[in-house]
Amino acid sequence: MTVWVPDDDGHADLSAHDSFERGVPHNTFARMRRDAPVCWTDYAQGQGFWSITRNADIARLNRQTDLLSSAQGIRIEDQTPEEVIARRTFQETDGKEHMATRIKVAKAFSKPVIAGFEDQIRELCVEILDDALPQGTFDATKLIARELPMRMLGRILGTPDEDLPWLVEKGDALIANTDPDFTDHVLDKMTTDEFRLMPFNSPAGAELYAYAKDLMARKNAAGDTNGILHLILQPGPDGSVISDAEFRNFFCLLVAAGNDTTRYSIAAGLQAMCHQPELLGQMQQGEIWNTAPDEIIRWATPALYFRRTAMRDFELHDQMIKQGDKVVYWFASGNRDEDAFDDPFRVDLARSPNKHLSFGQGGPHVCLGMWLARLEVRVLFEELSKRIKGIEAAGPHKFLRSNFVGGIKSLPVTVQLF
Amino acid sequence: MKATWTLPDGSTKTADVAEGTSLMEASVANNIPEIEGACGGCLSCATCHVFVDADWLGKVGDVEVFEDAMLDSTDVERTDASRLSCQIKMSADLDGICLTVPTA
Repeated sequence: MTVWVPDDDGHADLSAHDSFERGVPHNTFARMRRDAPVCWTDYAQGQGFWSITRNADIARLNRQTDLLSSAQGIRIEDQTPEEVIARRTFQETDGKEHMATRIKVAKAFSKPVIAGFEDQIRELCVEILDDALPQGTFDATKLIARELPMRMLGRILGTPDEDLPWLVEKGDALIANTDPDFTDHVLDKMTTDEFRLMPFNSPAGAELYAYAKDLMARKNAAGDTNGILHLILQPGPDGSVISDAEFRNFFCLLVAAGNDTTRYSIAAGLQAMCHQPELLGQMQQGEIWNTAPDEIIRWATPALYFRRTAMRDFELHDQMIKQGDKVVYWFASGNRDEDAFDDPFRVDLARSPNKHLSFGQGGPHVCLGMWLARLEVRVLFEELSKRIKGIEAAGPHKFLRSNFVGGIKSLPVTVQLF
Repeated sequence: MKATWTLPDGSTKTADVAEGTSLMEASVANNIPEIEGACGGCLSCATCHVFVDADWLGKVGDVEVFEDAMLDSTDVERTDASRLSCQIKMSADLDGICLTVPTA
């Protein structure tokens, strides 16, 4: 059975969040990959942008940071230079400046260090599944997909478990700032610019700033200075230190981006299991665990795009991109490119090689939490597949209203336990 | 020009590598196992770690400060022969270079 069928008319407005409310408009991306691989979109709320939709083009451009910079913003929304500085993390830097910050936390997120979390992750998965599965019919995003990364976030940041629901609610208000289910301040419907210096232009940013300050004071008072949040404050190999603003924004980034991406990867995997029943059997046979996490994460593509800015004029596929133009790498499209994947609209847990772009592969900003995401996804589905003999949809699922975060925000399922 | 990899299963694989191509790119193009090259050669990951065979170690150039730092993040622990293969570009001096893919 084919998994969900896109129903857009092939000409969806990629600048409009509403275009993504019934899932990614894949008919539009398929047309662009075929006929217009460098395609201009007008944007009612600012400057228009170029869309790059082919897998090979995205992978090739992503490393050319002298040509396509992150430093002027990584979202489609326009930002003034003042907003860029106030809201900046190392995501919005290039070259050596980016490296100098990233290197401070690289080891903490490296494969061998993350592998050390496997037992903790498995314990959390068992707890979560023991709570959720006996309910029979339930919202799998809420009870399974949301829970694991939220509880792991607490382990990574060193925050008390009782703070986690509040933190995740605020993180959602930031990153899902275009969906009225997650924020009262819907970005493209706001009538104030009061929050424009806050992360994601969201008032939740101010609350997270205050929380980070308190948390660090408590940690310092307790002599607890070994975690991620202290590592990022150390001087880099070149002696550079990040500013207070960058620290607070880094905290918000971990709470927001580090959380919902894994949630929506797990949700997409669960949704795929409902529509391709053979996946459960393949998981139970157990030969696919080296490749399955990446395929599930390809299928999900939680970060639908990141944006760059052209540093000089250049020509690509007969289009002239001008200095200062915004250029959008649509990972959602690159991950369904027929030239990069056989049968891209089918989940193949044994897919190898898998040239997906969900982590922003091919460039310096490749996902810092890549190993954590792969590990959480693998262990969750390993433990789930041991416990159920079937899973099916118990109603229609709902997508987040966002052209930036691809996520199934509610996923009613029914499971049959062994 | 050629490069040879000793793979985790003990077998070897030799491939043609064009001048100027990084040994990470050559690994990915030839499906060398365990070499992912996730960041495209930008020193943001450590997924192209190799051990350079002793005969070639003197010819591959020095380790820069960021590569040195990233080598602390490899899956298999670094040794004096460790390099990130994205930082080694094929040249006439390196024709025939031998690398070993680290294995846990």
